[in-house]
Amino acid sequence: MRTVETAQLGLRGRVVRSKWAHSILTFLVVFGPGLIVMEADNDAGAVSTYLQAGAQYGTHFLWILLLLLPVTYFIQEMVVRLGIATGKGHATMIFERFGPWWGRFSLIDLQIVNFLTLVTEFAAISLALSKMNISPEIGVPLAAVTLITLVFTGSYRRWERVVVFLCLLDIAWFAIAFKLRGPLGEIVHHSFVPTVPSGGITANLVFVIVAIVGTTIAPWQLFFQQSCVADKRLRFSDLKWGRLDTFIGACFTIIVAGCMMLAGNAALVHGISFSDPAQMAVDLVPFVGPAIRTGILLLMINAAVLGTTAVSLSSAWAYGEVKGWPHSLELPFREAKGFYSVYVLCVAAAAGIVLIPRAPLQLIILSVQVLAGLMLPSAIIFLQLLLNDKEILGEEFSNKPWNNWVNWTIIIVLFALSLVLAAQVLAPKFFPSA
Amino acid sequence: MKTNPVHMTNTDGEEQARPFVVIHPLDDAAETKVRTSGMGPMRMTLSVKISLMALRGYLLLMMMLLLYHILDLAGLFGHWK
Repeated sequence: MRTVETAQLGLRGRVVRSKWAHSILTFLVVFGPGLIVMEADNDAGAVSTYLQAGAQYGTHFLWILLLLLPVTYFIQEMVVRLGIATGKGHATMIFERFGPWWGRFSLIDLQIVNFLTLVTEFAAISLALSKMNISPEIGVPLAAVTLITLVFTGSYRRWERVVVFLCLLDIAWFAIAFKLRGPLGEIVHHSFVPTVPSGGITANLVFVIVAIVGTTIAPWQLFFQQSCVADKRLRFSDLKWGRLDTFIGACFTIIVAGCMMLAGNAALVHGISFSDPAQMAVDLVPFVGPAIRTGILLLMINAAVLGTTAVSLSSAWAYGEVKGWPHSLELPFREAKGFYSVYVLCVAAAAGIVLIPRAPLQLIILSVQVLAGLMLPSAIIFLQLLLNDKEILGEEFSNKPWNNWVNWTIIIVLFALSLVLAAQVLAPKFFPSA
Repeated sequence: MKTNPVHMTNTDGEEQARPFVVIHPLDDAAETKVRTSGMGPMRMTLSVKISLMALRGYLLLMMMLLLYHILDLAGLFGHWK
C-alpha cells in the first residue's frame, strides 16, 4: 500500500491492489460517526440507569437491550442517509422543510436538553473523582479544559481518532462484566426470553423500562450524527460503509450496556443498595477488590467525557447551521468563532454549575428526563417525514415501504413510552407503587 | 468518488485494471448533494398533516402534564392525597 497524488485532481489517496483491501480501507476511513454516536450515548446517565436496572432487577432486562438494537440502528441509519444525501445537519433540514416555528422549537428544546445533560455528565465526573480522592474543584475544570482542547485542533480526523479510542476503552466493561458475571444460563435466558421479575409489574418496573429505552435513544443523537456525517463530508458511495459503521456501533453499545447491567447485578447479589454508580463501585470493594472499583470509576469518567464532547458538539453544530456560521471541526478557531464559542460555553457553563455548592442536581436530572421525553418524539417525527420527502431525496434515498412500517412502529412505541415517563415524573400519584 | 479501479489502455488496445485508490472523504473533491435550499416548506400531504397534528397533540398533553405538576407542587390538589 502506498500514498499517491491522483494525477488529474491532486487528491491524496492510498493505492491498494485487491478489492478486499480496498473495501476494508474504505470502511476504515468512513468508520467513526456511527460508533461515536452510539457509544457516546452510553454516557454518565446511561451508566447510572443500566447499573440501577441491574441492581434492582438483575439480568431480567437484558432482552430489552437486545430489542433496542434494531431500534437504535434503524433510527440512526435514516440519519446517515439524510446526512449523506443532503450534506446538511438535522437542524438545517427542519428549518428549511418545516419552517422557522418548528425549527426554533427543535433548536431551543435541543439546546436546553443538551445543556442539562451536560450538567449531569460533569456531576458524574465530580462524583467519580471525589471517590478517587481527587478534588472535584481541580478535576472538573481540568476535564472541561481537556474537552475544549480536544476540538480546538482544527482537524476533524484528530478529534475523531481520539474519540474512537475513548469509545474502545469501554471494552473494559467486558472484563468487569466477566469478573462480576452471574450464572451463564440465566444471562442467556434473560437475553432472549422476555420475563417479568418476581415482584410483578409495578410502577418502578415500568419506570426502569422506560428509563432504559429513553437512555438508549436520545434526541441529540439524531442531530449529532447527521452533522458529523456532513462535517466528515461522507459521499454517496460511502452509504453502505456508513450503515455498517452505525450497525457495529449499535452492537457494541448494546453489548457494553448489557455488561453494565451485569455489573449492577453484582450489587443485587451482594445486597448493596446505592444512589449513584460511584457509591456502588466503592461498596463492591469488600466483595470484588479495589481494581473493579477503580475500573468502574474511570469508566464513569470516560462515559461522561464521551457524552460531553458529543452532546456539546451536537449543540454547536446545530446552532452554527441555523445561524449560518462556519461550523466545522476542520476549521481553526479564527474561522469558526461562533461554532467553537457555543461548544466552549456549553462545556464551561455545565462544569461551572456542578461546582456550585448545593446546586439542584436532582431537579436537573428530572428535567432532563422530561425534556428528553418531549424532544425525542418530535425529532423522530421530523426525521421520518424528511426521509419520506421524495421531492428532495427522490426514490433512491427516501424510505422504502418496509422502512416506514418499521419506523412508524418504533415512533408510536417511543411516543407512548415518552408519555409514560413524563407522566411518571410529573404526576407520580397516578402510578401507585406496589 | 475516485475509489474505483482506474482503467488504462495498452498498445494493443486492451484494457488493464490499475490498482484501487482509496481517498479519505475529507481529501476528496466535494460532490454535489441533493438540492434543498430555496425549495420552501414541505408539501402538506395528508400523512404530513396527520403527523404534525399528532405531534401538536402530544406536546399539548405534555404541557398539560407539566401544568398539573406545577399546580400540584403549589398544593392545589392537596385534598386528593
